[in-house]
Amino acid sequence: MALAPIPYHQVRDDLWRPLAGASKRYTLTLALLSAVALWGLIAWGYQIHVGIGVAGIRRPVFWGFYLVDFVFWIGISHAGTLISAILRLTDADWRKPVTRAAEAITVFALMIGGMFPLIHLGRVWVFYWLFPYPNSRLLWPNFRSPLMWDVTAISTYLTGSMIFLYLPLIPDVAQLAERTTGWRLRLYKLLSLGWSGSDREWHALERAMRLMAGIILAVAVSVHSIVAWDFAMAIAPLWHSTIFAPYFVVGAIFSGLAGLIVALNIIRRTMHLEAYLTPHHFKNLAKLLLLMSLLWLYFTFAEHLTVWYGNEPKEMNIFGARMRGRFSPEFWVMVFVNFVVPFVLLGIRRLRSITTATIASVGVLIGMWLERYLIIVPTLSMPRLPAAWGRYSPSWVEISITVATFAAMAMLYLIFAKLFPIVSVWEFEPHAQEEE
Amino acid sequence: MSEHRWGMAIDLDRCTGCQACVAACHAENNLQVSDPASAAKGRAVHWIRVDRYYEGEFPDVRVKYRPVLCQQCDDAPCEPVCPVYATYHNDEGLNVQVYNRCVGTRYCGNNCPYSVRFFNWFDPVWAEPLQLQHNPDVSIREGGVMEKCTFCVQRISRAKDDAKSEGRPLKDGDVQTACVQSCPAEAMVFGDLNDPESKVSQWAKSGRSTQLLEELGTKPKVFYLERAR
Amino acid sequence: MSLYLTGVFSYKDAAIQAVKDLKAAGYGPEDVIVFSDEPVEFPRGVLDRPSHMSLAAVSGAITFLVLCVSFVYFTQYNYRLATGGMPIFSFWPTSVIFYEMTMLGAILSTFGWFIWESGLLRRDKSVPVPAIEPEVICLRVRYSPEQYETAATILEKAGAYSVARLEKAA
Repeated sequence: MALAPIPYHQVRDDLWRPLAGASKRYTLTLALLSAVALWGLIAWGYQIHVGIGVAGIRRPVFWGFYLVDFVFWIGISHAGTLISAILRLTDADWRKPVTRAAEAITVFALMIGGMFPLIHLGRVWVFYWLFPYPNSRLLWPNFRSPLMWDVTAISTYLTGSMIFLYLPLIPDVAQLAERTTGWRLRLYKLLSLGWSGSDREWHALERAMRLMAGIILAVAVSVHSIVAWDFAMAIAPLWHSTIFAPYFVVGAIFSGLAGLIVALNIIRRTMHLEAYLTPHHFKNLAKLLLLMSLLWLYFTFAEHLTVWYGNEPKEMNIFGARMRGRFSPEFWVMVFVNFVVPFVLLGIRRLRSITTATIASVGVLIGMWLERYLIIVPTLSMPRLPAAWGRYSPSWVEISITVATFAAMAMLYLIFAKLFPIVSVWEFEPHAQEEE
Repeated sequence: MSEHRWGMAIDLDRCTGCQACVAACHAENNLQVSDPASAAKGRAVHWIRVDRYYEGEFPDVRVKYRPVLCQQCDDAPCEPVCPVYATYHNDEGLNVQVYNRCVGTRYCGNNCPYSVRFFNWFDPVWAEPLQLQHNPDVSIREGGVMEKCTFCVQRISRAKDDAKSEGRPLKDGDVQTACVQSCPAEAMVFGDLNDPESKVSQWAKSGRSTQLLEELGTKPKVFYLERAR
Repeated sequence: MSLYLTGVFSYKDAAIQAVKDLKAAGYGPEDVIVFSDEPVEFPRGVLDRPSHMSLAAVSGAITFLVLCVSFVYFTQYNYRLATGGMPIFSFWPTSVIFYEMTMLGAILSTFGWFIWESGLLRRDKSVPVPAIEPEVICLRVRYSPEQYETAATILEKAGAYSVARLEKAA
């Protein structure tokens, strides 16, 4: 599907323009977001100082908002993987303007999600005991624990994603280095590693990108499976389910896509890239989102039918609380925004547009956050021995930190978009030399 | 194969639900005291608790009491999930909690099917003069650390030391956990399951012996004696 | 003493022809480098650069796998702690970690090999690099002084619109 060819110098102008200077709106937004993120940091500092009891978690709900946020953000990080890796591997041309934006989401979402294993610790000052290093106690970490799997998986995925983001950035940064001055020049020169555009360099880059696409796909599937296994390995009722690993991977791709659509719409409008992020792109992404919605529905239905049919008492207690009891408002809102809204807005071709895709995506983000909440909290509220049942409600600390992570994500993204072209310039340009 | 394998048996047909065991455990193990606000928030700590179940409608109501404490499971689900080995199985069959090592992920608390694990949400505070009542044999746990019943491991150690210095083997009844010692109905016994003559072994072998959530395969070492229903 | 000249082409086919002609004239793949601001696909046999990147990735992956299995085995036996009835060296739970470390090995070795194979960090600073103009292909040819005429003629005949000596920028 060919885009109307845009003259080459226009492409560069359009994609490089946002890098120069900072409008008032940009600065104000950045300041506001930084303030909210800072508030989250203060809340965390308060929590470290006074004790983790300032959060709302309690026995038996030992995991609350922080784990919901953790799973949520690691899920969002699958945006990049889907778009970049799968679409690179299948040579889908329409992905080109979208890849860097997606890869950036992945890296930042992983950084933010990776904070939560630290935030939820009771004694965060000894977090480094989770890393294997020779010590005077002669102790090593327990590699059997799913939390250790998390540590290795997220480290690997973060390393891979950063490399995956960086590699295609090199040629762009080399081009930019020829046209800037001052601190930007030094930054771009450093990052370009002396890229000169030789065929040897291009060849190596393309080979590396192809390999990385395959590897990162394998890693991404494993990462969210491992996050799912934090729950599935436990024998808590409704957690110990074999479906969790693929369910979470599907959910991650689903929420990642939604996050990507929202981010792209904002980029499109604020940076005036309407010619590069066209309705065609959004319609394709919308179709993918619809597909993931149906897949999510399939997994959800399979899981629920299995539980209901098995009628195991401890599981049915939680099941009832989710569908009819005190968690039912969240449950039905989740079903509505995860399935009904995308199905209607994106399934009916005439309704499919950039705006409806964004609305559906915002709904999906809310719905997927609720889905993680509904997986974690009801099960923990109703353990096997009823004498231990309890209720959970979040405190201001947890809410502040949750909101702050959204602000931090937006803030990191804004800074990134100011430093590097959010649409990959060298990938976008049509191969002029082909035309005779 | 270690010399000892500690176990406990509780006769539910004798238990009156008086909760002397709960009070004794608090005193022995320096458990924190909760105010009504934190108790309402689910922050109260009771290493042993008495679960009360009502069956039937008035006037045919039956109340059942079951003291629940850490079952010291041989295949404990809480152990493999701790990323730092803060809880592991020692060779006397105890599920030990190492306070110094715990980083506070609380995964073990989620995976315990008996809900016997408790977390220190803050550094504990005792109103004056309660801090004078502390047992010097038991460490005070700081905020951010998981804790649970230890089968009064400090009493086990002391009894072993005493027996060693007197040059004699431990005999049944030398080690009494605080809860067992304080039960007025003598509904609880504690001892060495490796010793076939010990009271706990005999109670465990009785026809009335059951285990809590046995179907989960955790292999608990607390035996509940109750009339076959 | 190596000298460099550049030929700038607007069309890929012309560049391909030039490379073929240069090869026929005895210039090796080290002498002819193609510069462009986006990757240019040459057909097979024109300017092949053998790559061992897949091998590097696999080797890195296997290395990390072996190191990781050994490390986990060593640490779990070094300080034996029984947990939940699982064996001291629990292969299946720890296999997840083996998988991740294998992938990490593949990632790091791919990236490392990319840095090596592209020649990025070990570029000889004394060799001049042409400025890349957008939408054109620039061929840089290394020649010895007496070969200048041959090289320049080949480039012009193939259709370069600009042939010039390349000096190191001051």
